[in-house]
Amino acid sequence: MSTLLGYVLPGIPYGCDFALMAVGLVITFRTTGVFNLAFGAQAFGAAFVFDLLVRSEGLPVWAAFVLSVLLLSPAVGLVLDRFLFSRIATTNMTAKIVSSVGLLIAIPQLLPILFGGSPRENPPSLWLDQAHVEFRLFGTAVNGSEVSTTVITLGAVAALLLFLRLSPAGLEMRAVVESRRLAQLQGIDSGKVAASAWALSSVMAGLAGVLLLPLSNVLNPTNPLQFTGLLVAGLTAAALARMRSIGVAFGAAIGLGVAQEVLELYFPNGALHTASVNAFPFIVLVGTLVGSKSLRSLGFRADPMAGVDPPPPPPSVSIRDPRLDVPMKWGFRALIVAFVVSGLTWVPGYWVTPLDAGLVYSTIFLSVTLITGASGQLSLCQASFAGVGAFAAGQLAAHFGLPVLLGAVVGGLMAAVLGAVLALLAARISGLILTLLTLAFALMADTFLFQYSWSGGSGTGVSVPRPVMGSIDFTSNRAFLVLALVVLLLCILLVALVQRGTTGRFLAAMRGSEPGAASLGINLLRARVTVFAMSAGIAGVGGAMFGSLYSPVSADSFVYEISLAFVVVVITTGSRRIEGAVQAGMSFAIIQFLFTYAPSRFQGLTPILFAFGALNYAQHPEGMVEYQKSRWMMRVSRLLARVDGRRGTAPTALAAGAAGNGMAGGVVGGSAPNGAPGLAGSPVGLSSGVVSPRG
Amino acid sequence: MADILRISEVSVRFGGIQALDHVSLSVAPGEAVGLVGPNGAGKTTLFDCISGRRRPSGGSVTFDGRSIDGVPGYKRARLGIGRTFQRLEVFPELTVREHIIVAERAHRGVGALWRDLLNLSRVRPEEQERVDAILDLVGLDHLADVPVAALGLGTCRLVELGRALACEPKLLLADEPSSGLDHNETDSLAMVLRVVQRERAMAVLLVEHDLQMVAKSVDRIVVLDIGKVIAEGRFDEVLAQPGVREAYLGAGA
Repeated sequence: MSTLLGYVLPGIPYGCDFALMAVGLVITFRTTGVFNLAFGAQAFGAAFVFDLLVRSEGLPVWAAFVLSVLLLSPAVGLVLDRFLFSRIATTNMTAKIVSSVGLLIAIPQLLPILFGGSPRENPPSLWLDQAHVEFRLFGTAVNGSEVSTTVITLGAVAALLLFLRLSPAGLEMRAVVESRRLAQLQGIDSGKVAASAWALSSVMAGLAGVLLLPLSNVLNPTNPLQFTGLLVAGLTAAALARMRSIGVAFGAAIGLGVAQEVLELYFPNGALHTASVNAFPFIVLVGTLVGSKSLRSLGFRADPMAGVDPPPPPPSVSIRDPRLDVPMKWGFRALIVAFVVSGLTWVPGYWVTPLDAGLVYSTIFLSVTLITGASGQLSLCQASFAGVGAFAAGQLAAHFGLPVLLGAVVGGLMAAVLGAVLALLAARISGLILTLLTLAFALMADTFLFQYSWSGGSGTGVSVPRPVMGSIDFTSNRAFLVLALVVLLLCILLVALVQRGTTGRFLAAMRGSEPGAASLGINLLRARVTVFAMSAGIAGVGGAMFGSLYSPVSADSFVYEISLAFVVVVITTGSRRIEGAVQAGMSFAIIQFLFTYAPSRFQGLTPILFAFGALNYAQHPEGMVEYQKSRWMMRVSRLLARVDGRRGTAPTALAAGAAGNGMAGGVVGGSAPNGAPGLAGSPVGLSSGVVSPRG
Repeated sequence: MADILRISEVSVRFGGIQALDHVSLSVAPGEAVGLVGPNGAGKTTLFDCISGRRRPSGGSVTFDGRSIDGVPGYKRARLGIGRTFQRLEVFPELTVREHIIVAERAHRGVGALWRDLLNLSRVRPEEQERVDAILDLVGLDHLADVPVAALGLGTCRLVELGRALACEPKLLLADEPSSGLDHNETDSLAMVLRVVQRERAMAVLLVEHDLQMVAKSVDRIVVLDIGKVIAEGRFDEVLAQPGVREAYLGAGA
């Protein structure tokens, strides 16, 4: 009994820390509809500031606490609300998730830039000392930090509950939780409430970070996996509470903390230990996400008046003078030829690798084009699929002597099977919960699945040889360029055929309206399994190419942040069109390469650069680069039309195009040459406003 | 003649609210039935139970002689249940024509992936003809290549109707097709509905607040109030019943 207790008790402070996360997640989600994935990173930011103030600036602990947790954390929350989330309060769930994914990338990458890259040992504790045993409970020593974590958490959560129950501001917050729209009609400033929710939950995050310091012993700014544990646990507890009840979230979090410690007791070491202790939170998380009925209906029940929210703006349709088609087509072909010729001849050797990488990234990014662009599903585990492809190709080559290219195909198929399984698991969920499921899979892959010698090669990594075809050896980076281009073009062909075919139209229908698609007899599950499997397969093939380029590769090459970065990069450049993936791949590789000349702490700026682009998703779902491109296309077309006008020839083709397509773009339509009707964007938006609330 | 649709004793609860309380009704093949009742009577919920979006807590639904309880929504659509939505469920980025093509292909089951991969998915001439016929029928041929996001509410309702008709349903569930439309649009919609129903011998179940449109479009009506069927019969007879007047127009009417 006392041995069991010896594991239960140390679990409680961890549970308390998870609880702060979970409660904060629930509060922001319920009041603003944003699931703040960057919460763990915010916690660590506060912890860093606290540590810095105490040890480098020599401030007393209480002053550091006030500055980092009570002032800086809510300030960060308010800034996030003011400049980002309040602007997208009425957009759809996808835009909110994309924005929070952008933050999840940007904030951890900012930490080493702000605080340097060296880990800090033995961080200070907030109240009682860890080394000091406060008392013994049934023979188990309880140290100071365990006491302080538990007491402070209980105090904070109790204060929060009292605030929500008793204060007028708390009442307003609860009203907004029920229905933002109805609360507004009652004269409640929902923007103010959202801001205070952000401030409040950010304090929770800061507190969680500072309280975790003595438990974790070391703070490593370059190792974001440190706060992954916090994120997973908070996520799981919030999911167990159906994103709803603060009390349940608190209890679930404590339970998780305790269960994790108790597993240590029953599986003290060996393979079973790694398997059970590491996999446990994910099993609970995935089980909850897949199994919970009330999470499934989260999207519908969030707000009884959600129907009056406008639909997302349609992506702008580029109105292009048909005379531009031919030069563009041939220009594109010339570009490819010039690219290959240059890559094989005059480009300096050290520039060939980034070009190779650009092509390989483009291949992997095509998988995002397919899943996010075509079907509208946000998958946060594409790098994990790439990892499956890379490891399969490497392991098959090492153990069975399979040629690498064949291995890449097998690896792609394995990834496809995994993708299909994931889609089947997610048969009845969508939106946020589906995205969280893919995130859970990505986290599971890099903390657990890829850590074995048979998968990620634990430690040394897996070497993926360069392919050799007959007399052609692709070991040279220049030769590899050609191979990478061929693989990319094949994948492009595949995606283009799907997009243009019936499947692509079905997917577009599904993206537009799932009930509408189902009412026509489209099997949504089958479409989803198909698109997940194809997308995962492409990512797998791309991953095998990536492995072959950068061999050896290990689990570190495919951590979950890479998946997030992939999605964010593609969304920024344009997820709807195939060329978006290529733009994304090439620019990502080249910018990354250019940053190798910068001091090492600035390496993280590449993803940040793209993450800021993703924050614009709500306004420009077609991607910033695509949006700018379509604007330029418009300008050139208009210029051509004006030239025609001066010559006296009627610009019939363009006029027809504008009358037809011009109305489509809520964005470009505004400046359509003929001032075509329907500029004001989509009247569909109006239509959903006519809905009677009870219907 | 056997009924195309038979609903028996269907019940749905939302928390403490009995949205549908042992509702039974049936529709004969080719018959147009109006389903009327005040807001919150459970009309859309009943539609959701028929089309498979919602599973009733009790009772059963029989379509074309077989029980369809437990049949998923998309399969019910393939069996011949078409529907339009009160809250529009169009696909904003597709053009009107693409809506019809998607419906046509989903109905005929020609959406196999291998066809796409072999580039066999171009629109065939006979398909084009059928699509054009539908566009002509709902009067949208001049807007065929406009993305639906750019169209007004009334036109979108016609798109939904055309899309549903392309699936050649044996039963069409039309959920407040006239809401948000002006008088002329309502008239033309009612006419299209009536014409199609007679020409194709398609059964129609129509939820509608515009009683004039109901009068023009249906053979008989069923009145639903607070989840219960309170009257059934010919339009003018039913509306003359005092209970119906009270439910519909409020007490004292």
